[in-house]
Amino acid sequence: MSAGSLAAVSPVLAVGALLCLMPAVTRPTLQFGVRVPRERARAPVIGRERRAYYWRTAAIGVCCTAAAVTATVQGHWPSWLTRIILLPELAAGFGCFLAARRKIAAVKNADDWFAGLRQTVVADTSWRTDPPRFPVRWLMPALAVMAATAAAGALRYRGLPAHIVTGSGHRVPKSAVTVLIVAGQLYFTAVYSGLMLIVHRSRPDIDAADPAASTLRYRRFLAAFSRALLTMAALADLGLLLIALPDWQVYRLSSIGRALPVLPFAAGVLLLGAVAARAGQGGSRLNGNVRGLAPAAGTDRDDDRFWKAGLLYVNRDDPAIVVGARFGVGWTLNFGNPVAWLLIAGIVAAWAGLAAIGAAAGI
Amino acid sequence: MLLSIEPDGPVPIYQQIRDRIVEAIARGRQPAGSALPPIRQLAVDLGVNFHTVNKGYDLLRQEGLLRLGRKSGAVVRRDASSGPPDPGWAQDWTSRLQTLLAEAAAQGMPATGIAGECQAALADFAFPAAVAEVRNRGGGSP
Repeated sequence: MSAGSLAAVSPVLAVGALLCLMPAVTRPTLQFGVRVPRERARAPVIGRERRAYYWRTAAIGVCCTAAAVTATVQGHWPSWLTRIILLPELAAGFGCFLAARRKIAAVKNADDWFAGLRQTVVADTSWRTDPPRFPVRWLMPALAVMAATAAAGALRYRGLPAHIVTGSGHRVPKSAVTVLIVAGQLYFTAVYSGLMLIVHRSRPDIDAADPAASTLRYRRFLAAFSRALLTMAALADLGLLLIALPDWQVYRLSSIGRALPVLPFAAGVLLLGAVAARAGQGGSRLNGNVRGLAPAAGTDRDDDRFWKAGLLYVNRDDPAIVVGARFGVGWTLNFGNPVAWLLIAGIVAAWAGLAAIGAAAGI
Repeated sequence: MLLSIEPDGPVPIYQQIRDRIVEAIARGRQPAGSALPPIRQLAVDLGVNFHTVNKGYDLLRQEGLLRLGRKSGAVVRRDASSGPPDPGWAQDWTSRLQTLLAEAAAQGMPATGIAGECQAALADFAFPAAVAEVRNRGGGSP
């Protein structure tokens, strides 16, 4: 198996595994994007739909990975075609999510699970008076890799011919390769740390039934997750450096050795996955109950109406830009806030700019 | 301080924000001089419109409980230990209290029950030692 085929198959496998494990790391009061009261989290319909989802997505992951392996082993198809398998894989996973969501929501609405419950939203003012600190020190590895890349590029630049042949077999100007690698690192680091900065200023996911303890758990989750994400940015930068070094003729690698740059990316994804699995969404799987610190205020508000398809948050009255994701671990944007659209436009425009430089250089 | 509101409840949200902050001041959780989150940040944390929080804070400012400054942000201006209330304040409060007590009486709650509820609520508040002493002797102003 060549480096290209390995790079093509591994995302299919990773996406399959991630899809399958999503419900395990989501909070118990959010089942497939449906808000449920804590006392209903073990309702029979939820157990049934979770089991069905695990089996279905496991089968999808296995089938798609098998198809990807078959496609690359035969060798007739280019590697980008293998990556196309990701699309039906994601679509099928989304279908499983929607099926589970529809059935749970039907039972919830029929039995009126929130009837008689006091639905509250809780803010912890200590989140603002004693805000969580962005772990600036954890940005150092990414900056160090970027500095090393810039130094290596500067050292090798004069000695290189005007055009170099890249690992993917393209003949491109040496300036384009150098600029793209450094700009790519800058992009990864800026996007990851920028998004984490916004998340630090955003609201925590507070459980209305246990507000004080859930805020503390969220603090620990945010600290661990942002460190893991900044480490992942450093690893992604390292991956780009490993792509650049053979192009800059620092060393040559054999066929399988060309898969080397994939390793840091894979390590970063695994690290983030491990942190997510340990902590759960918003720290929901962490210990650290401080019950007695504050009385149970109520039940989380039934906010299903703001979540389109259970995944997209659209609430024009909510000034938040970033909110906790509904399914899986992480955050999502409030698409009812124009600033969120500006943010997407900025990220996409920067990516398009990089792609345009690449296209102009003939990569 | 934990600020809990019911967004879909019958009481307007700005009123709930104002009520919760008054309660926190009375309980000693937000003493005079302590900071409250800036309006925009509290609006994000509660997932409500910026103007809603602004309205709640403005009520507190009018009541003399909050100081809103461009640089200092929102700071609690007074609490139980800051001395007696401003003259003329008690009039409005007494009429609202009468309405509240009348509701309980009209619903058939006995006088001892009403007094017990009042005692229980007062026991939860952080009165400074001197004021508490006066209150225990039964000579305190409202």
